[in-house]
Amino acid sequence: MTLSFPSAEWVEEFKKQINSSEGYKKAAATWTAGVVALIISAKPEIGIQEDAGIWLDLHQGVCRDAKIVTAEEAQKAPFCITSDYARWKQVIKKELEPVKGMMQGKLKLKGDLPTIVRYIKASQELVECATRIETKFLDE
Amino acid sequence: MGGYKNRILEVDLSTSQIKTADIPEEDKRRFIGGSGVAAKLFLDRFNPRVDPLSPDNPLIIMNGPLTGTTLPGTSRFAVCGRSPLTGIWGEGTCGGNFGPELKFAGMDGIIFKGASPTPVYLVIEDDKIEIRDAKDLWGMDNYAVTDLLKERHGKERNPKVLSIGPAGENLVKFAAICNDKGDFIGRTGMGALMGSKKLKAVVVNGTKKVEISSPEDYASLRKLLIAKSRDSMVAQSLRSMGSDAGMDLGMMTGDIPIKNWGIGEDFELSTNLGGPSLTEKYLTRNHACSFCPIACKRVVRVDDGPFKTNEGPGPEYETCCSFGTLIMNYNLAGVIKANEWCNRYGLDTISCGATIAIAMEAYEKGLITKKDTDGIDLTWGNIEGAIELLHKIAKKEGIGAILSEGSREAAKKLGKEVEGFAVEVKGLEIPMHDPRGFHGLGLAYMTSIRGACHLMDLAYGVEEGMSSYPEAGLKENYVGQTSEGKAEMVKLCEDLGIPCNSLLICVYVTWTLSANDLAEMVRVATGFDFTLKDLLACGERTWLLKRGLGNMMGVTGKDDRLPKRILTPLKEGAAAGSVPDVEKLLREYYEIRGLDESGKPKKEVLMKAGLQDLAEKLHGTI
Repeated sequence: MTLSFPSAEWVEEFKKQINSSEGYKKAAATWTAGVVALIISAKPEIGIQEDAGIWLDLHQGVCRDAKIVTAEEAQKAPFCITSDYARWKQVIKKELEPVKGMMQGKLKLKGDLPTIVRYIKASQELVECATRIETKFLDE
Repeated sequence: MGGYKNRILEVDLSTSQIKTADIPEEDKRRFIGGSGVAAKLFLDRFNPRVDPLSPDNPLIIMNGPLTGTTLPGTSRFAVCGRSPLTGIWGEGTCGGNFGPELKFAGMDGIIFKGASPTPVYLVIEDDKIEIRDAKDLWGMDNYAVTDLLKERHGKERNPKVLSIGPAGENLVKFAAICNDKGDFIGRTGMGALMGSKKLKAVVVNGTKKVEISSPEDYASLRKLLIAKSRDSMVAQSLRSMGSDAGMDLGMMTGDIPIKNWGIGEDFELSTNLGGPSLTEKYLTRNHACSFCPIACKRVVRVDDGPFKTNEGPGPEYETCCSFGTLIMNYNLAGVIKANEWCNRYGLDTISCGATIAIAMEAYEKGLITKKDTDGIDLTWGNIEGAIELLHKIAKKEGIGAILSEGSREAAKKLGKEVEGFAVEVKGLEIPMHDPRGFHGLGLAYMTSIRGACHLMDLAYGVEEGMSSYPEAGLKENYVGQTSEGKAEMVKLCEDLGIPCNSLLICVYVTWTLSANDLAEMVRVATGFDFTLKDLLACGERTWLLKRGLGNMMGVTGKDDRLPKRILTPLKEGAAAGSVPDVEKLLREYYEIRGLDESGKPKKEVLMKAGLQDLAEKLHGTI
């Protein structure tokens, strides 16, 4: 079933994919640094009227919770990554590696960079999980 | 004309004569400074076929017009000459504090000619310049001699010191020059060139100002550039983790060399040796080159254990690979200790680690044994053994004497099979970035003027995606593992990167700026009416100049090649199965560059670039 990105259904499926990924479980087994939130910048022409947040409560290889939140809420997370829709699409399609994207400034990170770099394999596994979702992109 | 001091020092160490001269005005505009100007000076005044360790080979230290200004990333200087390691054009650049201090003393550069019969050092205190006896300093390591000279000459001043350690004194072919203890001119053996002149150190202190052509424009440009270079994510990454920030990402992208370039992936290595690990376990503080807002340098300390190390300069990414992943060493404290010894002796960590790696592979294959190594166990990963061998290299003892010649020559002496796994181009060991992951970088290694190099052009940053310069014609997203379109990419990266090299702008700062910013820096500092187009033309002209000089030193098309190990696909990792298409890359590049079949720039190409003298020298009377 094709799910729109971003949407509550897509995020719910993302959580399922993360929790069924042996690769992610192994790579993130020692992650205790807290929630990772993603912010997608507003793009009214494709239906994203305001900045949208995705809240990922990740802990020791498990996604304990995943939900759509406001950008304001997302900013409270210890790690918050912001970018525009086109970049997030590139990430999900594996055209932009997220840590490389952060270093290039294409994805803006609020949070401790060395910690993120340490879990670069885990971030790659998260992207793998996202690619397994049949995604409908709003600009297509 | 701003930025320049219009004065270079000429020191003849055979006769102790000191005089001053200037860079020809035309050459400042055409080649800017640094190694560009140094190459032109060499071409005009010296014999390209000179024996690299003879008194007739000059040691040229050269600033650029931005050195000593407060623009970000402009504290660098270049050291050049015919390389004792490769036999072709040699150059290295370095940040830190020496370059600006030389400018404050009123100099754009120094040319050392001849050789002293006994050890000496040079002292420059503004206009007071003396050659002093260094017999009491000869044999001292870089840390000790720097501390002593600062004490001796620093009572009322804060002098900066350039020095060589025992490796340079012993003419180890990849000996480095130490800059004020924390930075090094590592590549191409400039330390051996300095040692061949019995020149132990240069001590400089200056109080003069650097005049800028457009002070008002300079102030606003400076503010803009500092904000750009400080606030970019690349800068934040370097500030928090140093250059070793590249290790973890590199393992994901197929950048990291493992076990003498024979293995494609090992995440335990990158976890142990990467930037986060270095920062968390051993970092005591950051250190910055003069006026740099990024502050990528590490100061580290190992408090206990067999590799206990007092606080001092920490390893860069290249060293974490060359004494880490390349030799299968998982112990970061061991890398720090090896780094300290290389610093003290004055050894290029890339060449040293790479040469030790071929010794380890030879040992694994039974081509050398403990009998050859005087009992040193060179099993992969034995960092203690690697450090023992490092001492022997610096002192040229036992097998160290063979290895001190560098990978290419050492492999020749150790046997044909060893030649098959020496990983060098034109005699310079490949930097710690794998061209099987980045085919454009492979081309850059093949065609770079001094041998395999990832810094003289911008190919590494562009192909990796760390930087982009669309206004110069470069794309934003290159795919690493294809050779398609890479000839054009490399040519543009060279044309933009080489003037940055001549301007002596730090590559990390260059990554954070636009191509137009770079041209503006030149205009504002010097007053040259410089556009981006002029900058690219300068890059092309300088590349041709250095290539022609290299041809005169013996470089031919046959030398534009990649080593056998790099043409062997890896079985695992992000670059598994990928190998640059050398034939395609070179064919396309030669056409774009205007090189003939022998690897020389064509006469008409040189004439168009305004290099008539070089055209005559390479192709006969026009």
